[in-house]
Amino acid sequence: MAYKRRNNKGENPKLDMTPMIDVVFQLLIFFVVTLKQEDILSKLSAARPAPDPNAKPDQQPDPTTIIVCDQGFLFNGLPMRLDELDRQIARVSRSSKTAMVLVKCTMSSPHKFLVQALDTCNKHGLQNLSILTM
Amino acid sequence: MAKTRSDQCEMDMTPMIDVVFQLIIFFVVTLKMTSDTNKDIILEDGKNGVIITEKNRPPSTLEIEVDKRGMITIHNARMNQDQLDTILRNRVNKLGNQFPILIRADFRTKHEEVKKVMDICTRRGIWKLSFVAIQEHKAKKK
Repeated sequence: MAYKRRNNKGENPKLDMTPMIDVVFQLLIFFVVTLKQEDILSKLSAARPAPDPNAKPDQQPDPTTIIVCDQGFLFNGLPMRLDELDRQIARVSRSSKTAMVLVKCTMSSPHKFLVQALDTCNKHGLQNLSILTM
Repeated sequence: MAKTRSDQCEMDMTPMIDVVFQLIIFFVVTLKMTSDTNKDIILEDGKNGVIITEKNRPPSTLEIEVDKRGMITIHNARMNQDQLDTILRNRVNKLGNQFPILIRADFRTKHEEVKKVMDICTRRGIWKLSFVAIQEHKAKKK
């Protein structure tokens, strides 16, 4: 056996860094691969008036009412698409930012229309929102 | 004159290892291995809502999830309406009715199912509710 004996008495005892760097890179790659970005979430707040049917949800004589049904929206009784609703809500917000908006949902309406309606109200700065179920 | 012999030419690894360790520590700290939210729920876009951050989401926040079939979960724990009612009653007794509630409902969920959750909240005196929506898509779509 003719291998060279290592001289440990030298003035430069050196640690072999290669395995450590290997492991560190493995870990790094693992974390890079498993990292996933999360969506940025927002919240749309609304009040829920008392479920008591005799209780008046608001004192205003004629609140703006958005009806959310299975197919889309009805604004003050007129069916409309989201972009049309957006224009109507913009008009309401120009007259008053504190105007109360009632969002009435039918039982079978999908949740996305409610979110779209609340989002449109938020877009125009209307904060006084109430949700009712029809 | 400096030595230029090739067997003596060694790279100093210390700064590189420092940087690599910094990166690893960053990833370990930011990594969230398990998600405590229901993965089946697809949220609707809500670009104009208030962005949910750590600051405006106090630890007392209760996030109620409703999937497209109307199944209610909190932190992936499935429950029926009575159990949710009990949880809310206990919370209201402990914290009062001012803690924020986030309802995280799938965009396909029928309003009927969301209404059940809202009714339980109002029964316990919580009138202000928030719905979670996606402000900006970051996650890769499946």
